[in-house]
Amino acid sequence: MIDFFLILSVGMCVLVLCCLYRATYGPGVLNRAAGISAIGTKTLIILLIMGVIYDRIDMFIDISMVYALLNFIGTVVLAKYIERTGEA
Amino acid sequence: MIRDSQDVIVKTLARLLMPFIIVYALYVVMHGHHSPGGGFQGGVILAAGFVLLGISYGLGETRKRMSEKVAGVISSIGVFIYAGIGALCLILGGNYLDYGKLSKVLRVTPAQARSLGILGVEIGVALAVMAVMFTIFFVIFTVGESLEDDRSGK
Repeated sequence: MIDFFLILSVGMCVLVLCCLYRATYGPGVLNRAAGISAIGTKTLIILLIMGVIYDRIDMFIDISMVYALLNFIGTVVLAKYIERTGEA
Repeated sequence: MIRDSQDVIVKTLARLLMPFIIVYALYVVMHGHHSPGGGFQGGVILAAGFVLLGISYGLGETRKRMSEKVAGVISSIGVFIYAGIGALCLILGGNYLDYGKLSKVLRVTPAQARSLGILGVEIGVALAVMAVMFTIFFVIFTVGESLEDDRSGK
């Protein structure tokens, strides 16, 4: 069962690299913002899988909830900033 | 300066999320000694709630709820709670932040006094961190704006 979750988390890391490419080279600011937001969501899932692997899921749920909250607020702040400067 | 906008999605989400953010921040502060978190992390989550209010409803609306002056007072109160509990332990004959000595004042066993003392210190840290984070956000987002206000005021 642990092997299954390990393979799953390695696959998620590969997906994070794909999103990182979009966040680095993506044309325009909006592609980058979407890439960063997707990386945050994947990091959250990787955190939860780590919690299952280490058998401390109660600890990791606390951290992942804060991560999701800050990811959402960060994306909204970035969107507001793009709206204000008008560079999309 | 962020002005009030007509974003229905962001405004509704902020209104729905705000109470959960506050309750979760209080949970992080209260359970700081047996789960991840503590005063600093809880204060940052509380400040994140106010940042969400500021970017969804505009800084003018936020200033009515909590102005820079109130934030300064709250941060001072937080530092005062922290230093006050430490100094109280010093007065009662222990070291600085030696919570066990608080058992004389609180009329509980020293172990319970340690738990309560850590909780009090964490509440102080959370208040200070929340107010300072909010002030930093406010100053960054109103840069330039306040200068113009000063010039026109004088």
